[in-house]
Amino acid sequence: MIEIDNISKRFGEIQAIKKVSLQAANGKITGLLGPNGAGKSTALRVLYGLLKPDEGKVTVDGTDVFHQRPEAQRKMGVLPDAHGLYGRLTAREHISYFGRLHGVAENELGNQADELIRLLDMQSIADRRTEGFSQGERMKVCLARALIHRPGNVVLDEPTNGLDVMTTRKVRELMLELKARDITVLFSSHLMHEVARLCDEIIIIAAGTVVAEGTTAEIRDIAGEDNLEDAFVRLSEGESR
Amino acid sequence: MHAIKAVFRKELIDGFRDRRALLTAFLFPAFAPILIYGLIYAIVNLSSDAENLKVSVINPEAAPALIQYLQEKGVEITPFEGNAEQAVRDKKQEYILEIPEDYQQRLREFKTAIVPIIHDSSRSDTRNPVRRLRTLIRTYNGSLSALRLIARGVSPLVIQGVVSGNQDIASEEQRLISIFNMVPLYIMLAAFIAGMGLAVDSTAGERERKSLEPLLVNPVLRLHLIQGKWLAASFYAAIGMISTMLLSLIAMLYAPLDDIGFVFSISIEQIILLILATLPLPFLATSLEMLLGIFAKSFKDAQSYIGLVTLMPTLPFIIHTFNPVPIQDWMYAIPVFGQYLLMTEVLGAVELHWLAYLSSGVSCLLLSVLLCMLTSRLLAREAVITG
Repeated sequence: MIEIDNISKRFGEIQAIKKVSLQAANGKITGLLGPNGAGKSTALRVLYGLLKPDEGKVTVDGTDVFHQRPEAQRKMGVLPDAHGLYGRLTAREHISYFGRLHGVAENELGNQADELIRLLDMQSIADRRTEGFSQGERMKVCLARALIHRPGNVVLDEPTNGLDVMTTRKVRELMLELKARDITVLFSSHLMHEVARLCDEIIIIAAGTVVAEGTTAEIRDIAGEDNLEDAFVRLSEGESR
Repeated sequence: MHAIKAVFRKELIDGFRDRRALLTAFLFPAFAPILIYGLIYAIVNLSSDAENLKVSVINPEAAPALIQYLQEKGVEITPFEGNAEQAVRDKKQEYILEIPEDYQQRLREFKTAIVPIIHDSSRSDTRNPVRRLRTLIRTYNGSLSALRLIARGVSPLVIQGVVSGNQDIASEEQRLISIFNMVPLYIMLAAFIAGMGLAVDSTAGERERKSLEPLLVNPVLRLHLIQGKWLAASFYAAIGMISTMLLSLIAMLYAPLDDIGFVFSISIEQIILLILATLPLPFLATSLEMLLGIFAKSFKDAQSYIGLVTLMPTLPFIIHTFNPVPIQDWMYAIPVFGQYLLMTEVLGAVELHWLAYLSSGVSCLLLSVLLCMLTSRLLAREAVITG
């Protein structure tokens, strides 16, 4: 369960997000939808504890992210905006490293890594150094290392951005699998059809504020359009004007 | 603690696989003994008379006694004819000794006979042989003058008011001592260079390859992240420093120092003391490099700042060499300078109080810990992610 309550964040003159609130519940996929520069990444960075909000608060399963950062981070598996890997380490070493940072016991580390490697279909690359990995292979490593500690809440910042069809499909399968395990999944995207297909709840963010939220059908009603994409464009533009 | 261990372990592996950084780190220790041996060898050979002088002489028949004297001193004489100045200028001859036609006549009349040495003083390779030749002629002049005085019933000592002894040897010794001071400098440079690659890669490198943000979402204190990285970089720096130290000492042991009557010896106890004295240095060096690394946005950016850091160990060397100050007890507590003092004194077999080791070690490590804390504060800045 992720609760974001009225957070605002300003960088100098730019108000990146203004009074953003949202809830993501267990066993549901919540989509944070918005055009580029709408404030999605800023909101998520506040959520996973890397930015301090000017106001408002964020809790993960009841733990305050700002005041108890490590405890809250332990409850989250995060795919951040940046996807950097260590080129001289293998995929499996990346997964183990993050597992150790989370305090996963050594005797469980191997099995948990194997399970993720199977789930993400990356057996053939698991023991290769990540230097020269394709975009899709890199994304799989990032996802696996984010999930190694079996978090109850998963936060993914644009998990399908720049991926090919096969990997995108794999990522979607992963999200549905997490949902089936009663995990909270919150992910951001600027792709309408993806959000429409996967999400139980949608939050549309534009120019730093939430402009609409609800189920796919509810969003369509709010905008008064049949097509979700048209609804998205109308809502985003309405806010920018 | 588990986080520090995890970071340390990962950085150690990452650092070991970074062949380019490893090569630059350990090229330095590899060159140290070669450089030190080479310098000692050069100084020893320039000063010793082992190599014979070869002198081209114009008109050697005019001064048979002088020529015979030179030959007795091991000088090889080759007669020369032609334009001496041109030959030296064209580098066909290194230097030429000219015996004037009126040499014998002037000697008979008890006048001064001048024997010019034609040479090019801007050429550093001929400076030493010319100096040696001049010294030989001066000595010959001395014995000739003595004979003249004796012939007149005067003791030659009359004209020897004050004589300086061993003038040449003294200057060679000084040069050797400056090499002995260079060894500590080299050891300190190694401490600053050997861990640099990993220190920069694990700070500025993390930012550059955008792996910092994923790292920071882990439930780990920033200080623990920095400490793990710091210990790993210090580990490589310490290995680099100690191998430079051992190789330099071996080079000194095998250098032909006894050819000029200089004795260098070192005991196991001294080596242990040296390691003890210098071990805090790698920790300070890497903590400083990591601080600058986290400031910088890219690897290249960081390297230009850190180039300046490597100048730091040369400071005590410069101060000590050009402006020797009397050493007082508190000076051991100055980081870097304290280590430098300890090294020179251990090498010179000076017995030191354990407080000197303790104060230099504690102050150096304390400063490194403070720098690490500062680095972890910088890591908590939002600009590290957004900037």
